[in-house]
Amino acid sequence: MLRFILRRLLAGVILLFAVSSLAYLLLYLGAGDIARQILGQEATQEQVQQLNTRLGLDQPLLTRYFGWLAGAVTGDFGASWFTNQPVIAAITSRLAVTLSLVIGTVTLTAIVGTALGVWAARKRGAADRTVQIVSVLGFAIPGFLIAIFLVNLFALNLKLFRPTGYIPIGTSFTGWLSTVTLPIIALAIGAIAAIAAQVRGSVIDTMRQDWVRTLRSRGLSENRVLYKHVLRNAGGPALAVLAVQFVGLLGGAVIVEQIFAIPGLGPIATQSTGQGDIPLVMGLVVVTAALVVVVNIVIEILHGFLNPKARIS
Amino acid sequence: MFRLKRAAAVALAATLALAGCAAGGGETGGGDGSGGGDGGGGTLTWGVIAPASTFAQKDMRWANESPYGQAVYDSLLRANPDFEVEPNLATEWEYNEDNTVLTLTLRDDVTFTNGETLTAEDAAASLLAFKGGASPNATLLRNLADARAIDETTLELTLGAPDPGMLSNLTQNAGLVAPAELVDDPAMATEPVGSGPYILNTGETVVGSSYVFDKNEDYWKPEDQHYDKLVLQVYTDPTALLNAVQGGQLNVTNVVDKTTVPQMEAAGYTLNRSELDWSGFLIMDRAGTLVPALGDVRVRQAINFALDREALLATMGAGFGEPTTQIFAPWSPSFDEELDEFYEYDVDRAKELLAEAGYEDGFEVTMPQTPSVAASTWTLMADQLAQIGITVNYEQVQATEFIPGILAAKYPMTWFQLQMGPTDWQLSQFQIAEQATWNPLRYTTPEVEEWIATIQTGTEDEAAEAGQELNRYLVENAWNAPFFRPTVTFMSDANTEAVPQTGNAVPYLWNVQPK
Repeated sequence: MLRFILRRLLAGVILLFAVSSLAYLLLYLGAGDIARQILGQEATQEQVQQLNTRLGLDQPLLTRYFGWLAGAVTGDFGASWFTNQPVIAAITSRLAVTLSLVIGTVTLTAIVGTALGVWAARKRGAADRTVQIVSVLGFAIPGFLIAIFLVNLFALNLKLFRPTGYIPIGTSFTGWLSTVTLPIIALAIGAIAAIAAQVRGSVIDTMRQDWVRTLRSRGLSENRVLYKHVLRNAGGPALAVLAVQFVGLLGGAVIVEQIFAIPGLGPIATQSTGQGDIPLVMGLVVVTAALVVVVNIVIEILHGFLNPKARIS
Repeated sequence: MFRLKRAAAVALAATLALAGCAAGGGETGGGDGSGGGDGGGGTLTWGVIAPASTFAQKDMRWANESPYGQAVYDSLLRANPDFEVEPNLATEWEYNEDNTVLTLTLRDDVTFTNGETLTAEDAAASLLAFKGGASPNATLLRNLADARAIDETTLELTLGAPDPGMLSNLTQNAGLVAPAELVDDPAMATEPVGSGPYILNTGETVVGSSYVFDKNEDYWKPEDQHYDKLVLQVYTDPTALLNAVQGGQLNVTNVVDKTTVPQMEAAGYTLNRSELDWSGFLIMDRAGTLVPALGDVRVRQAINFALDREALLATMGAGFGEPTTQIFAPWSPSFDEELDEFYEYDVDRAKELLAEAGYEDGFEVTMPQTPSVAASTWTLMADQLAQIGITVNYEQVQATEFIPGILAAKYPMTWFQLQMGPTDWQLSQFQIAEQATWNPLRYTTPEVEEWIATIQTGTEDEAAEAGQELNRYLVENAWNAPFFRPTVTFMSDANTEAVPQTGNAVPYLWNVQPK
């Protein structure tokens, strides 16, 4: 087990290195004149030159990259070029906000998606068709449209929730709920659709297996067959989908956070990428890639937990 | 089943733990965007469209970022809403005979938030640091040769050359004052120490998203502190901003997308209008170096006649603006109302002029196009010139390459939106004079340089007269082809009064108050 984790972590480090190198290269190629971008229309050309020199933008690509890498390895990601805030501080103060959204979404998705999938698989008929249609819809409608609809209905017209902003859970739990409920629903609908469809399909497939018939013939109750045996087998693929969803949700959160003006990673991700704020973008790339690596390791361990065949000895 | 339960419990615990982290973040970050709508005494929640680039006095920015600077610092002088200079930290000021030495008398009752008294020493150090700092406006102090404290409250500025903009510069970011020993301290970028009406609450601030300030209890001018708390909430997404306004979460706000203004008005907000920029074609190649046709004044005039400014305003500015053909601001003594309508939309006249200049078959011109401006805008502009036979070849450039390309003299002309002032001197240094940043092809004429010299060194009357002549000359000789002056749309809710500030993108902090 420990060996497995170590191997995975090593692979993760290599992945991080590859991803950050590629990201740095892409940023370098697409950056344009960042110093002018930072200073705006009022600055003179001399000021722009000075800033280029100060930020090391006149250095060759490799010098700059290794400079960044040397800092990054020691945990020094520098400071944002546009707000002067240290990158680590910028990310840590916002990561928890985004993660609370994403984890809330994943939890909601796992519960509602599984329930819907199982229900459809068991009832079949009209219930099944309804779930299928709803999941296609949920899949097809982009999260940001759902977000805009939710804000208009529940925040602006019914005034049940706050239209924008974020209240930390420590300040007020109800305040926190009033700010995260709509974003989580907006994010979850697409994910629930995917999970429900996946669970439904796997449960139906598993129910057709010979061993299920054997279990039934031994007199096990239908509930016991379903929850103890079938769902466990069907859970593997669903978990894999959920893992992919988690990563996708980090991207989805970027847009939803913009719409709700939530101070998570989303606003700085879009701003820093658009502006060419290389230190901040690189910090975000590393953190996101690390998250992906960690989530995948966790999912694989969970997978073994559900399915002894996949268990790592 | 048991294991599943346990897995669920673990997942739930993890969620709560992370949510807990988010809560813990409340100490270090997590603005709530709340507090709107309660007008007096309590919290002022202000929607801003730019995060603070820095809080360091020496690198401070202005315009959309002015509330950040005005919250934590005081400026030596202050401008009223009509941009007239008034006392602030300095109570009196006087020039010597040839306008090269400016002596200011400072108040003696001002303290910084670190407890120290503000002295002329601090002011001198701040000015010199700003001149050498990274602010895009550092050139406001380009004529400042030296600043020194004569005694605790007397500050003497020596100028390399007379600078008619100096007093008004000291009302802006160039005039902010920080403690002398801290001006170069890197920590000032995130934890500023000033003497201003508010103190940055770094615990509640989420840099880039919401900036929270508490009232400075020891402020020397309490009548300017209209609120106990100030929240500058950043909105870059027009939908989020509109939602916040419709949900009553903001007292005042700038607007990202002007087409949302009617919806904001419907939500009970008041539109406060002001002007700051002009939008239009910069015809930079007036010598005809890149495109010979543009060297002919009749061709440049033809371009001006070919523009349907009302249509351009409707498409580009959502109808919020004033059509114009001059680049001088309405608050300038050189402004001339007639010059707003010097070139009427007249395609036949434009064609005639082109024919006189020998270009009846038209010509081609290359302009940069950036995706940060809507595609329909570029099409409309090209269509207007196509009516008279001028073919626009757009060169697609990234948003980050747009300004650098223009300033590197790569294009004969371009569309852009530039600031109008705030003073004639600053306008001429910014976009008219030979060495002006926005005169990349360095075209000038002797009479233009002479008028600019008079604006710099002449008496007030002489300067005003020179400015008027300069303005008329630029319009008649079609140095540019302005479209309109876009309206700065600043919204305030029913409980809040906001007085627009001449020469700035947003009102000054103390001019936003409860009704």
